[in-house]
Amino acid sequence: MLTLFLVWMSIGASAQVLTVSGTVKDTQGEAIPGAAIIITGSTKGTAADADGKFSIEVNKGANLTCSCFGYVSENKAVSSRQIDFILKQDENLLEEVLVVGYGQVKKGDLTGSVANLKMEKLATMPTGNSLFTNLQGRVAGLQVVNSGQGPGATPSFYIRGISSISGTKSPLVVVDGFPLGEGSDLKQIIASEIADVVVLKDASSTSIYGSRGANGVILITTKKAQEGKANITFSHQTTISQFTQKLNVWRDPALMAQLDNESRINAGQKPLYVGDYDNGTYYPSVAEIQSGAWPYRTDWADEIMRTPVVNNTTLAINGRDKKLSYNLALSYYDDNGVYKTDDYEKIIGKLDVEYRMFPNLSLRTSNTISKDWRNNFSGDVGRNPLWPVYDENGDYWQASETDYSNPVALMNTVKNKSQGLDLISSWMATWEIIPGLEWVGQLNYKYGTTVSDSYNPKKYTEDGVFNNGHANISNWFNQNIVPETYLTYTKLWNNNSQLSTMVGYSYNYYMERSSSLDAYNFVNEALTNENMAAGDPEKNGLSNGYSASELVSYYGKLNFSLWDRYLFTATFRSDGSSKFGKNNQWAYFPSGAFAWKLHNEPFMKNVEFIDEAKIRASYGISGNQGISAYQSLSRYGMEEYYDDGAWHTAIGPGYVTGTYGSDGRFKYWGGIPNRDLKWETTRQLNLGFDLSVLDNRLRLVFDWYSKHTYDLLRQRYLPLSSGYDKMWVNDGEVINRGFEVTIDADVVRTQDFSFNVTAVFGQNKNKVTNLGNVVSSGLTVDPNTGMEYEFTGSALTYQPVGTANIMAVGQPMNVFYGYKTDGIIQTDAEGIEAGLTGDLAKAGEFKYVDINNDGVVDSNDRTIIGDPNPDFTASLNLGFRYRNFDLTVFVNGVFGNDVLYQYGLTNPATMPLRWTVDNPTNSYPSLRNNRQPYVSDWFIRDGSFVRIQDVSLGYNFTKVCKAISNICLYATINNLYTFTSFEGYDPEVGLDGIYWGGYPRFRKFSIGLNITF
Amino acid sequence: MKMKIVKTLIGSIAALGAMVSCDLSEYPYGFYSDENFYNTPEDAESAIMYAYNALTNLEYSRGIFYIGEAASETVALKSGEDANNPGAQALDEWNITDNANNQTLQVYFKYCYVAINRANAVIKNVEGSNLDEALKTRLLGEAYFLRAYSHFSLVKVFGLVPLQREMVETVANTSPSMAKTMDEAYEMMIGDLEIAEANLQYTNKVGRANKAAAQGMLAKLYLTAASSKESGVRYYSNMSMSVEEMYAEAASWAKKVLDASTSGEAPFGLAPTLAEIYDVDKPDGCEHLFIMSMDRSGQNEGNYSKIGMLFMPYNNGSNFYVEMGAGNLVASHYGYEVFPTNRAFYETFDPADKRKTELMGETMYNADGNALGTSAYPYTNKYIDPHQVSESTGDKSSVKPYLLRFSDVALIYAEAMGSDDGGWVARIRARAGLEPLAAGLSKEEFRNAVVQERAWELAFEGNRLYDLRRKAMVTKTDPNAQAAGISEADAAFYPIPQREIDLNPGLYN
Repeated sequence: MLTLFLVWMSIGASAQVLTVSGTVKDTQGEAIPGAAIIITGSTKGTAADADGKFSIEVNKGANLTCSCFGYVSENKAVSSRQIDFILKQDENLLEEVLVVGYGQVKKGDLTGSVANLKMEKLATMPTGNSLFTNLQGRVAGLQVVNSGQGPGATPSFYIRGISSISGTKSPLVVVDGFPLGEGSDLKQIIASEIADVVVLKDASSTSIYGSRGANGVILITTKKAQEGKANITFSHQTTISQFTQKLNVWRDPALMAQLDNESRINAGQKPLYVGDYDNGTYYPSVAEIQSGAWPYRTDWADEIMRTPVVNNTTLAINGRDKKLSYNLALSYYDDNGVYKTDDYEKIIGKLDVEYRMFPNLSLRTSNTISKDWRNNFSGDVGRNPLWPVYDENGDYWQASETDYSNPVALMNTVKNKSQGLDLISSWMATWEIIPGLEWVGQLNYKYGTTVSDSYNPKKYTEDGVFNNGHANISNWFNQNIVPETYLTYTKLWNNNSQLSTMVGYSYNYYMERSSSLDAYNFVNEALTNENMAAGDPEKNGLSNGYSASELVSYYGKLNFSLWDRYLFTATFRSDGSSKFGKNNQWAYFPSGAFAWKLHNEPFMKNVEFIDEAKIRASYGISGNQGISAYQSLSRYGMEEYYDDGAWHTAIGPGYVTGTYGSDGRFKYWGGIPNRDLKWETTRQLNLGFDLSVLDNRLRLVFDWYSKHTYDLLRQRYLPLSSGYDKMWVNDGEVINRGFEVTIDADVVRTQDFSFNVTAVFGQNKNKVTNLGNVVSSGLTVDPNTGMEYEFTGSALTYQPVGTANIMAVGQPMNVFYGYKTDGIIQTDAEGIEAGLTGDLAKAGEFKYVDINNDGVVDSNDRTIIGDPNPDFTASLNLGFRYRNFDLTVFVNGVFGNDVLYQYGLTNPATMPLRWTVDNPTNSYPSLRNNRQPYVSDWFIRDGSFVRIQDVSLGYNFTKVCKAISNICLYATINNLYTFTSFEGYDPEVGLDGIYWGGYPRFRKFSIGLNITF
Repeated sequence: MKMKIVKTLIGSIAALGAMVSCDLSEYPYGFYSDENFYNTPEDAESAIMYAYNALTNLEYSRGIFYIGEAASETVALKSGEDANNPGAQALDEWNITDNANNQTLQVYFKYCYVAINRANAVIKNVEGSNLDEALKTRLLGEAYFLRAYSHFSLVKVFGLVPLQREMVETVANTSPSMAKTMDEAYEMMIGDLEIAEANLQYTNKVGRANKAAAQGMLAKLYLTAASSKESGVRYYSNMSMSVEEMYAEAASWAKKVLDASTSGEAPFGLAPTLAEIYDVDKPDGCEHLFIMSMDRSGQNEGNYSKIGMLFMPYNNGSNFYVEMGAGNLVASHYGYEVFPTNRAFYETFDPADKRKTELMGETMYNADGNALGTSAYPYTNKYIDPHQVSESTGDKSSVKPYLLRFSDVALIYAEAMGSDDGGWVARIRARAGLEPLAAGLSKEEFRNAVVQERAWELAFEGNRLYDLRRKAMVTKTDPNAQAAGISEADAAFYPIPQREIDLNPGLYN
């Protein structure tokens, strides 16, 4: 909404009262409806009507103040019965104040790279569980990945590329001065209560956060009450989702059976669908399926899926007078997922109170309580449609004793739920000791707890069958205490030069602990996990964990502005962290920035069309301390040893830090201390300029940056004879370079009609430049190029050995490494010719390319076959307003990233297109059940997409009645359409570029209502 | 005045900061470390169990068979097993080209050092402690035993290896140097075992070392050295002691076990029947000088055992019964057929040998004793846990690798003596239902006969490869080794893992 409406109650007339009337217009002569006319120094006032007219009763000699958002206020003495106001548009939106690290700065005085987003712009978007869902594409340099769609799903988000391998990758999130943590999803904060998001990107902005600043910082400011009468807002939103495309499952079981038989026959195996038993399961013949003799046909999606519905209701009350301001809100969020019992519910209550005790001392507290419930279920809708849900006895049908994937059985018999409670509380005092000298003290506390319940029954689940019932209760809680205090001194000279300094101190204590109870072997399952003692007492399992860390910080900032033309910023922070090794306990993070306001230079005074032209440069160092606690200490392990007929706890040096190999059968041993362990360091250079022209109608922000991150936290291998596998070290380097452009244009700006365009463009090039010593880091060397690399990421579903992603020196992170293919082998001779042997050389197989031309296709023929990092991202937001109608269209695009499509060989839509003797295609190989395909470029797809992400139409009813000042009704379609060549459901996947299937993306239809009383 | 306020405030901030920040030390919470452990007798006891526990890990406890049996003529390897245990196939097939990167060898190598480090931790922390003397003596005895046992495991597989004499506490300790000669390695192992022998008592506790085990290991070490030197095996040829001296040492240590057992001083001896040796409920039987401790009630593999499933036939995934001696049906869990017995080896047994007729079988039965089917290979009955079936414990069994048996030591004695063996070979053969060895054998013939007897007596117990190696008869005996066209020198040892060579800067210091 472009204007804010304040309606003031007029009170009865008294002596010497005049009725004054007039109009409020802008400089172009357009009326300004809703402008507030207040009797100066009182709370009495009125508002201009739709034609800009007003009428008010005032005492003689009083003054009237006329104000409206976006305009410069004007004050006039009541000298006659007719007073007309002509408000100038607020030329200087740059006077707007932004919250930055430990202080505020005028937007026009920024020296670093800082982006800002007003949340009112997103008021009509469907609210997810996390604010960040809606920030996708909105801020240059902020990458948001919405890969999950389940209830309560939260996205992951990154600023200016990834600059860590093992450490934290997400930015620090700070809410009203409280650092909630790296990558904090903000699910505890009521979305509509957020006023403002500020994204700190360059080092001069983030260095003040020291060892937590390297991944960028996101500052969230919640809504503050406006002065005036109590403001009550009720809002409700309902979102109904549908799949954007049909589920890709077998719809013709006979074809499925026929192709499965073909696939087995090609593998030299016995076909399944021949009307016989295999491993105890009867598989009907293709004829039986075709004739209908086989009675079962199950649509598994029908059995376990539904239409997802999300409801979100919020009631907020706020008000402010001279002494006291309050902000109360209550929100209920209910998310019914696409799986029938997959649910999420959340209630949040918030109370903010600010008390201005003395003119120069105010106290404030902000408290949020959030409670949520989650019931988890997901099942396989791709299960064999020939299999029934129930057997003839009405029990859940199982293909064999070891068939653990009947989704209806799992849905109805497995218990898997959790609930959480979070409390976020801040207490703050601001004291202006003398003019210009301000002291701020803040005490922040966060408490979070989660309790999970699960029960795997004796039947239908592998774990339950194996253990004869397995019950679990897990408890987890964490707390975070952050006392912080800083002192700011500001001095202004000659109205155009200013010095501002800040020094501060902060302490951060974080602790988490957990416990988990397991019971097995239940005689009677009726109580599931309600009575853990009902399990076999000899088999109970117990585990608990604890971790605590401390961070002590001193910081300072100096801002100096000379003649409002030259701006200097210097910051410094020193962090001492308990997580760092004894020899590296303290870290130091300096930064500096300079900006030149060209438009304030005398020689620019005549260039009328330029409102702002500013050049910025900054350089600084920030860190990433995202390691777990205790990594620098020696750590012993604990095992059980069966001695004297009983289990005894055995303790000694070395503990299991991870597993590898088939079923994770091999263990990694760690626990050797590294007293030198420290933070990852990022040096960042940022160059940028801001330009605003034509009466601020066209605004441009451009930034170029280069981020060099070194001392990456990595694990190195130790000699085997040490009895340890790996230890944490600082080793490795990554560079991220890129640029960001934001263009914002008010194309039309009149009273009845406005049209605004915002375009955001970002490009980031990421490169790993060092991964440490080849030997000790366990790197592999590519035989053809000498490239040093290591595999990373998750194992694939179709290729159990190894992974597809690598970290390679000289390459972007997570590039795909594998074989190249050149279509499909058409004849056996062609296969041998190509250097292939055995089954791989047969007609219908992938024609892998012998890239080193040694006549043999082997593992030496692998190369880089794709890059999951996008070339660039771009988005476009179009905002139209016609009188009381608002229309927003938001389009977001990601370009040039590769996605590994894992289901290329099992896709029911393309399997019929397989190679056969009669269909000598070059696109798809033959079906062969025992093929173990290599990771190859055949599976790599272009993941570029352009999404019409949001289309939203709203209507504002103003001055509905005495009680209701505004009603806004809106309807939004989210994810209306996606333009992409990707053949899976959706190309938006995680950073590693691997597509995991799942279900199609939702198209969300939301309707919403905001009522302001 | 202004400045005073500023100063006061800055001062108070700094003071507050100093107050909290004086100590950023981390203290371990919820886990043990060198700061809070080895303080009590219970700690020390728990630490020694941690050392034993290292051997139960899959990487070592399965490695016993991947290396000691699959690389010999006794068993083959299931095809595709490499997917689970990369490198196992190369061992079975004697494909030696890339054994420096063989993962099965690599993890076995590593776990020996994991055990050594845990033993060293006990030695370091118990030696100077003020624990009760008797307890201290025993714990040190066990720790030295384990350190020697694991070094010997390494020497048998890899030849010269790094000797780890101290606990690894920092990166500085992570690069032990190689034994320069076999003498150096034996000196350390024998020294350790002599301490163990002196410190330990003739006890019999499942999964724990004792005096007889130390004596038996000493005998085994000397016998290995003597016969290896005699056979001209690399590194052993230039050992300083003569072959005869070493045979004499082997005999003398073995005799201590035999005498103490015969006199009743030690609770060991030959079990009266074969079935009793392999009765899963009698791991503390008199045959077992040292046995690995595992129990089906454990949570993770290593705590419980899957060893039996590696040897048993699959039978379509159904449990069955085996016949251990006429009419004695024992329930067995189905297996994975990882180690199918080679039929040629099976045929080497005398038809009357009970170690064939009672301890091996081909038929699978149901509970009533009716045949269900025939296995593709004659499986061994040495690793069967009937409770696995009766108590439905799934994969979890209590079968245990037999680390040192009484009959092993008796045969060591016989082989070391070369003749006049006090009748031990005859007793062992009698238990198997066989006549004594023919009289009038030469010393060499007798020794060879004993080695063959060991193949039958200790079959599938992870011994065979090392007997073949010390007698330099790997290529003669194992058709796979022959087919691979390798030399006896190639077969004598596996190479030290490449990662060790690459990462250990002190290896050749």
